[in-house]
Amino acid sequence: MSFLQSNIYYVGAFGLILTGLLIVLVKHNLIKVIIGLSILDTGVNMFIIAIGYLRNGTAPIFSSPEVESVLMVDPVPQALVLTAIVIGVAVLALALSLSIRLYRHFGTLDLRKIKELKW
Amino acid sequence: MVNPVLLIAVPLGLAFTVPLIGSASRKLTRFVPVIASLFNLILCIRLFPAVLEHPIVINLGGFAPPFGINLFVGHLGLLFAGLISLAGLIVSIYSLSYIKTGMVVKYHMLYMLLLTGATGVVLTGDIFNLFVFFEILCISSYALVAYVGDRAGIESSIKYLIQGTVGSSLLLIGIGFLYGLFGTLNMADIAQKISTVEQGSLLVPLLLIVAGLGVEAAVFPLNAWLPDAHSSAPSSISAILSGIAIEVGLYAIARIVFTVFGISDVYLFLAFLGILTLLIGELCAFAQSNIKRMLAYSSIGQIGLILFALALASNNSVTGGLFQLINHTLSKGLLFLSAGYMIYRSGSMEISSLNGMGKRMPLTSLAFTVGAFSLIGLPPFAGFPGKFLIVSGALLQGQLVINILVGLVLLSTVIEGTYFFKVVQGLYFRKADADITPERAPAAALVAMLILMLLIVVLGVYPEPVAGFLNTAASDLLDKVSYVGSVLR
Amino acid sequence: MRVAFSLILLAIVGVGVVLSLSSIPFGSPPMDAGKYYIDSGRTDTGATNIVTSVVVGYRAFDTLGEVTVLFVAAIGLGAILTTGKKNESKKKEELEPASLVLSTGCRFLFPLILLFGAYVFIHGHLTPGGGFQGGAVIASAFLMVYLGCRKKRIRKSWARGTESISGLVFVVTGLTGLAVAGHYFLSNFLPEGTLNSLFSAGIIPIIYIAIGLKVGSELTGVIDNLIEESE
Repeated sequence: MSFLQSNIYYVGAFGLILTGLLIVLVKHNLIKVIIGLSILDTGVNMFIIAIGYLRNGTAPIFSSPEVESVLMVDPVPQALVLTAIVIGVAVLALALSLSIRLYRHFGTLDLRKIKELKW
Repeated sequence: MVNPVLLIAVPLGLAFTVPLIGSASRKLTRFVPVIASLFNLILCIRLFPAVLEHPIVINLGGFAPPFGINLFVGHLGLLFAGLISLAGLIVSIYSLSYIKTGMVVKYHMLYMLLLTGATGVVLTGDIFNLFVFFEILCISSYALVAYVGDRAGIESSIKYLIQGTVGSSLLLIGIGFLYGLFGTLNMADIAQKISTVEQGSLLVPLLLIVAGLGVEAAVFPLNAWLPDAHSSAPSSISAILSGIAIEVGLYAIARIVFTVFGISDVYLFLAFLGILTLLIGELCAFAQSNIKRMLAYSSIGQIGLILFALALASNNSVTGGLFQLINHTLSKGLLFLSAGYMIYRSGSMEISSLNGMGKRMPLTSLAFTVGAFSLIGLPPFAGFPGKFLIVSGALLQGQLVINILVGLVLLSTVIEGTYFFKVVQGLYFRKADADITPERAPAAALVAMLILMLLIVVLGVYPEPVAGFLNTAASDLLDKVSYVGSVLR
Repeated sequence: MRVAFSLILLAIVGVGVVLSLSSIPFGSPPMDAGKYYIDSGRTDTGATNIVTSVVVGYRAFDTLGEVTVLFVAAIGLGAILTTGKKNESKKKEELEPASLVLSTGCRFLFPLILLFGAYVFIHGHLTPGGGFQGGAVIASAFLMVYLGCRKKRIRKSWARGTESISGLVFVVTGLTGLAVAGHYFLSNFLPEGTLNSLFSAGIIPIIYIAIGLKVGSELTGVIDNLIEESE
């Protein structure tokens, strides 16, 4: 229980990651799969931010000259997640445009029926 | 000395200006990728003497590593950058006449950005920067596979996208783990600190990163997207994907496994994975009747062979692997380019429809034959020194397990020979169904194929200078200490 | 069958991850690079928002790559969506016109949201925020107009032009750093100014303004493409 309490952010982030992976592997509606990819991205971003947390730290912004720099959280994971969110949005936009074209061609979004290319 | 950053910055800047040029004149945009790749190639040749003495380390923004991002232009990086710009140049010359329909301006922008992403992956020295440029490469290839817009293209693109995105997320989780363990993102810094943590906790990040990069590098079992994607893309893009994109993925795996991690227990596992990929690729290619799917499965096989050669981690075998990598880029590129026009003239992708092309398109068929023989490894072509170096390097190690694997390599070469000979026989010795009027491919395509044929023959007849350079590139990959020393002086 | 296989695979992954997380204790990261950035961020780059100094100062090359990723996705989306349009002839349904409150409210709020987005990216080096956040707010303003006032469209050529020119500004700034000062790509060649004032931190405001405009026009172009699809 104390493990859960002290690592709740890790547990939450990996819960999201595993949920996203499960959706991508199991569901056969294309929109649900794309939502699963989005959940996976969110989970990964949460995990990276959670790594940078310093106990009792504050945001790394020197809003006035007297702010102490001792207890600030790590700024690097925040910069990494900024980039990762933008990349996630870009992939999502591309995936949605492909699903629009796919629907126009095949008339369905069921991945079990879109199997024109045999092995 | 010219700054190697221009290898990435100039094509990027040109890609941003293409919409402006395109609104003025659409026909001029075809030449922008040619100019960008030519600039890159000339820059690589000019950097060559300087890199031979000492790897160039560029600190971006003026901040010294490990607190800033740095580019590491060593022998291996320059080799890959030169290969990317050479293949990019030849295929962009081919595309001058091949790409006529659709949103042509956007095609050329995406093409240049794909090459920029690939160049960024091979030149960077920072692991998150590798992820960002890797994403540029992947996303441009998702969009380019869907370029034709037919049912097959869109289907294969969405499947490629889903698998590629899951792979990228796994890669990002692995990078997160590495940052949490070491507090830095610089590859040399991590390489230096890798022995300070217990080795057991490194297993999960290593597996995640290799799995993430392995989707793009098409190692078994993560290569389900490749046959669909490479066969539904336009032929110039198939040439670039098979020749550059999957090899850059393999480079990323090699760089991380050898230089950053350097844990030699993993190497045998990777060698087995390589042989498994090789056998599955060649056996599936043997059973295909669609020419582009056959070539795509053959790419899977070749990547398995190169992975096997790199995983043996001796100077000889890595040199052979790099030679085979160059050979694969040139030959598979030639095969896809020639197949592209043969498919265009005959109207179908079945192998049986290519019968009799020897009379109808003599130069193109010759190009296909040269590419096929070089890939199999027949003597006057570039495939022979490559395979010879791999086999001899593996046998020199003298372990029984490795010798068995080498036997499997030779078996797969025989299988490869069988299906390629079948196609070549059909080209020259079977009659076509329709009547035969000789028509050539357009001039730009012929020029591109001719350059590739020449390079393959020259490389096959004079392999020594290239092999010597590859030897130093191999030590660039394997020698962790000198890499760390050059960067963190 | 597939569900069972996936669950087993994910269970293995989960166990592996839990075992490996024990070596990264929560709340005490090894802040090797982070400590350096917090201590020297103000003097090296002149920005008081340390995340900005990391994103646009120390790791500016990553930001260039990120801008490129968004560019690739916007172009890819345009290429994929507009290839099949020619042979579609749908009946144009008349959309129900928006109510008076909605259309007036949209037109009233639109410049306010634009102003807020511009504030976010211009002050990126002083307060939380920056180019990407501000650009997303600007795109949401355009989205509101598209959804609320129904018939209005932006001029495509302006969006395309803004996108290309802002991207070029970023690359040219980097190359100027290469040519002018310190011979490093993307180095800070403008004077740093006093901390906490608007005109400080060298090239950071310029880059963030360029990124903000680029992201805003790009996402607006994406929304425009998608809305045209649905007609």
